[in-house]
Amino acid sequence: MEILGNLGLGLGVALSPANLLFCFLGVLLGTLVGVIPGLGALTAISLLFPLTFQLEPTTALIMLAGIWYGTAYGGSIASILLNIPGSPSSAVTCLDGYPMARQGRGGVALFMTAVASFVGATVGIILLTLFAPVIAKYALAFGAAEYFALMLMGLVAASTISEGSALKGLSMVVLGIIIGLVGMDTQSATPRFTFGSLELLDGVSLAALAMGIFGVAEVIMSVRRVSPADIDRDSVSFKAFKPTRDDIRRSWLPTLRGASIGSFFGALPGAGPSIASFLSYGIEKRVSRTPERFGHGAIEGIMGPEAANNAADQTAFIPTLSLGIPGSATMALMLGALMIHGIAPGPSIISSYPQLFWGLVMSFWVGNIFLLVLNIPLIGLWVRLLLIPYRFLYPSVLLFICLGAYSTSLDALEVWLVAVFGVVGYLIRVLRFSAAPLLLGFVLGPLMEEHFRRAMVLSQGDFMVFFDRPISGTIMAVTGAILVWGVWSESRRERRSKSRQLPS
Amino acid sequence: MYKVDFTDFVGGSLLTLVGAAVAIVSVTYYPMGTLQRMGPGMFPAGLGIVLAVFGIILALQSLRRPGERPDIRVWSPLFVLGGIAAFALVVSPFGLIPAIVAITVVASLAELRVRPLSLALLCLGLCLLAPFVFRICLGLQIPMFRWPF
Repeated sequence: MEILGNLGLGLGVALSPANLLFCFLGVLLGTLVGVIPGLGALTAISLLFPLTFQLEPTTALIMLAGIWYGTAYGGSIASILLNIPGSPSSAVTCLDGYPMARQGRGGVALFMTAVASFVGATVGIILLTLFAPVIAKYALAFGAAEYFALMLMGLVAASTISEGSALKGLSMVVLGIIIGLVGMDTQSATPRFTFGSLELLDGVSLAALAMGIFGVAEVIMSVRRVSPADIDRDSVSFKAFKPTRDDIRRSWLPTLRGASIGSFFGALPGAGPSIASFLSYGIEKRVSRTPERFGHGAIEGIMGPEAANNAADQTAFIPTLSLGIPGSATMALMLGALMIHGIAPGPSIISSYPQLFWGLVMSFWVGNIFLLVLNIPLIGLWVRLLLIPYRFLYPSVLLFICLGAYSTSLDALEVWLVAVFGVVGYLIRVLRFSAAPLLLGFVLGPLMEEHFRRAMVLSQGDFMVFFDRPISGTIMAVTGAILVWGVWSESRRERRSKSRQLPS
Repeated sequence: MYKVDFTDFVGGSLLTLVGAAVAIVSVTYYPMGTLQRMGPGMFPAGLGIVLAVFGIILALQSLRRPGERPDIRVWSPLFVLGGIAAFALVVSPFGLIPAIVAITVVASLAELRVRPLSLALLCLGLCLLAPFVFRICLGLQIPMFRWPF
């Protein structure tokens, strides 16, 4: 009954007034940025990242996590009412949610997605509670070689599975690791790539990097492209929230299926909520007896994906907290927040900081209850927010990014760094690279170098150390398989697109 | 449409340049050490070479296929970045309020049309909101106004 004691401990932490307040603020802000198109979870988290330096590590993480899963709720609101995905993982919700809104059933769709999200998140949280501590217990026996192999696998998987070209993803990882090298080398005290600057001795700050490549670059990409749309106000009136008996009967199985798909893919590095929600939609369409209803307002088509992306949001914390391997850029920011508070990521987090881990897990539940309660009465407010023109929004976002950067050290250099990384982020988007692997590389890079050097000392300079030991050998083999698969599927895609171009 | 994938060609070339620069700097300035006792230069040099190789492969691949014209805009990005630069230049010598006005005005130009009234309202709103959040809620000591002369 150790687990009950732990859950009790966590509940105590999560229900303390400060944590409740910041959990509430987090999910509120998350919903807000999820609703507004052109503002993503990463922008919001990186924007608020410097503000959490003043908080306790547990409180900081509770708030950042709240923003992360809050955006999934908010994203579905924009998808249903506007046919614009507020966040990538809710893009599928547009397919059937928007037709429902057009039929005057927008209120039902919003209410039912909130329920599906809650169920999905609950399943994810249960799995997180059960598996994370077990995995961490096994991982405590890992040595430097195993850690290096695990991090390599996480990076390779995240950059090859996600989207686009595997080679481009891997290049971004390497570039991220290189940016992470800037600063004092911990073992020899040699300053590297600092260009003689004293401020850069501590390295590039994660906040400046994230705000530049996500926040600023996102603003640059959306200026003059995002415009508020008109909404049918009648479809979101209070009367329209009540689902019919038929809706409920159709919903519960897709919700459970979606939750299991989401839980599985959320825990895999590189897969995450977007892939989970797309897969769930495909599966619902395939098992349905009436697949022709999909795309015309089938409630199954929103329940499955919404349960899936919320479950994935929660299980993404399993590898992050039990192994210290983040599977996505958001999880990398969570680990970064821990590191700034002096907590080293890895399997010892759960045993050394039980109040942090269990408090965070229980805060997910509290936060999801907040979201369920918040979403329904506040829909009117969210709808009004969708009408704010982007020309008011983006200068404010930029200002808060600059203030956040400046406030970390009261030094204008931080603001300049944000601008430089804004340029880098813009180039990354224009040249069709993805920025997430860069951030993963940046966070894991210094740890990888340390473990690599330590493993080399122990093996006396023999590379076989990564392949000889059973665990690290297995991980390396899996990494190799992912790489081969990534390159193979890419060349297949290229051949297919070539053969499609030939006839024209 | 271009005959070669120009986007990837530029991307690959840039990566090659960065990778080569990193490798050369690490080899020239930082001690390499041995594989068993790696110096501070070994890991960066390796990474630089890997990045350069990736860049070369990417650039070579791009020559074998046609590509779309990349969508590059000049003025909007310049005004957004210019706004940040204006903030960085103004905040230390002149204080917070002038910096807020500077970034709001410059960044708003990225819309490529000027709406004087809504711009003035936005400036006013942000000048009231931002100090409230940062000074009172977070207790940061950033001066509101400052006169450097």
